[in-house]
Amino acid sequence: MSQLRTLGRSWRRNRRDWLTFLAFVAPNFLIFAVFTYWPILYSFYLSFTRWNFLTPNMKFVGLRNYTRLLQDEYFWEVLGNTFTYTFSVVLIAQGLAFLLALLLNRRVRGQPFFRTVSFTPHITTTAAAALVWVLILDPNLGPLSHIYNALGVQGVRWLASSTLALWAIIIVGIWKEIGFSSVFFLAGLQNINKDLYEAAQVDGASAWHLFRHITVPMMTPVMFFLMVSGLIQAMKAFDVVAVMTEGGPVYPSSATYVYHLYQLAFRNFRAGYASAFAMFFFVAIIVITLFQLRVSEKWVQYGE
Amino acid sequence: MESEIRMAATAPNMNARQARRRHLWRHYSQNALTYLILGVAVVILGLPFFWMATTALKPIQEVVIYPPHWLPSELRWENFVEAWHAAPFDRFYINSVVTGVASTVLQVLFALFMAYAFVFIRFPAKNALFLLVLATMMIPVEMKLVPNYLLLKELRWINTYWALIIPPAAHAFPVFVLHQQFRTLPRDLMDAATVDGATHTQILLRVVAPMSRPLLAAVALVSFVGRWNDYLWPLIVTNKVAMRTLPIGLAYLKETQEGGNRWNLLMAGTIFVIAPILVLFVFTQKQFVEGITRGAVKG
Repeated sequence: MSQLRTLGRSWRRNRRDWLTFLAFVAPNFLIFAVFTYWPILYSFYLSFTRWNFLTPNMKFVGLRNYTRLLQDEYFWEVLGNTFTYTFSVVLIAQGLAFLLALLLNRRVRGQPFFRTVSFTPHITTTAAAALVWVLILDPNLGPLSHIYNALGVQGVRWLASSTLALWAIIIVGIWKEIGFSSVFFLAGLQNINKDLYEAAQVDGASAWHLFRHITVPMMTPVMFFLMVSGLIQAMKAFDVVAVMTEGGPVYPSSATYVYHLYQLAFRNFRAGYASAFAMFFFVAIIVITLFQLRVSEKWVQYGE
Repeated sequence: MESEIRMAATAPNMNARQARRRHLWRHYSQNALTYLILGVAVVILGLPFFWMATTALKPIQEVVIYPPHWLPSELRWENFVEAWHAAPFDRFYINSVVTGVASTVLQVLFALFMAYAFVFIRFPAKNALFLLVLATMMIPVEMKLVPNYLLLKELRWINTYWALIIPPAAHAFPVFVLHQQFRTLPRDLMDAATVDGATHTQILLRVVAPMSRPLLAAVALVSFVGRWNDYLWPLIVTNKVAMRTLPIGLAYLKETQEGGNRWNLLMAGTIFVIAPILVLFVFTQKQFVEGITRGAVKG
């Protein structure tokens, strides 16, 4: 009660400020409320129903959508695909990007040029890049045919193979992220205090020792940031699948989680089941984020 | 005796010269290797752009020839005209530009006011409210698709610019970036302005916004590219060809050309989609990289 009274008293005193605050944050909060907060609650509700978008009444089915989820072969397959895609893209792209950044950090010429070249894939429209890659990977029409010719092997039909189609998508994911990450790594490397290296060199430390005990620890915040954003970004892959494979050649051999979600909702019109599918994804993203935050406390070393 | 002394004097000299030569050799070979690897990286990163540009200019016979040529024998600019007419690219362009610019302007404007309020205006439970804003970044658009679609249908916003502009106009990322920046602004400036009797709106528009102009430009660029490249949202909220944006228009072009191997037209269409973004990027690279990296810097 007394809290309410204090609130009332400060309301009278600060009315102008408070009203200004509310007015300033209103547009964003209004849109968030309508298009983000409410849809989550509604999605949660829908996930307990069966509905096809058309009939006037939804059928309440309790947890049936969730139990069905666990028995759905497609669910497990697209989950596995997304897992493979996400970790391959993040680990390979970051590894190669770190290597490139180390090389660039050797005071090479043309750093600005490299920076431009490496950022370009990142800002290129994914749908457009995916279409170009369909042509690049074509065994007959693409430039790779010269390599196959030189090696005297049959051209690899990436998109017609149910194992390789997923890897074609992974290649595009890596291509898009590698340069972007290397620019971040380079900035991180250039921020490391040079005195640290000099002091260690005076003590007779080897190059490997410098790398292991100065470079790597100093770079963990950058690595961590790129991992978190990269994982969450990669988990949501959709455009590249829609343009390159549509989940094929034999569905769902290259379908990702979000792509299958889209199919369920807007091709099969299973609103309830798709919502349960979405809720699982939501929980997964939150768990991963929290897990990463916990882990980061252990091994990320922030500092100047 | 004498020769021994001379030997003792010259031996380290010899060693030093050898060592220097070995050092130089290592230096050069390492450098060569560095440039070689970086060169390969540049080629791989750039190859798709090269192949896109050359294919877009090839006559159709050279597109389907095996093995493919690296360069077109003649530059066939007509491909661009043909591609432009193969799908309603004029509509796609208008849709992408209008909705991209509008939602970017709103995004930056709303974020400007919100970030200012969170930094400079007193309000109870501000931190909790700010967390509520940041939490929206964790919620993927993907999981809101079904309810949002139903909502937009109810509002009769499907196939309208409203659907393409308004829901994406609120975004937590620009709020976060501007919030970080505003916290570093000198407080005295605000206090002096408040003493002069300026309202918050005046301080925001006359002091804070002009001081943050470079960052606002950077944030606007990142927002615009995000809107321009978006695929999933416009795919859900539009279904008429005339209301599609460029990325989906490109997929539409692909569908209409399927089976014909008209890759020169498809690549011309691809250039339509990415050229504006690339031009924008080349001219505003500094602000651009600034805008992207800002969000990454721990506050």
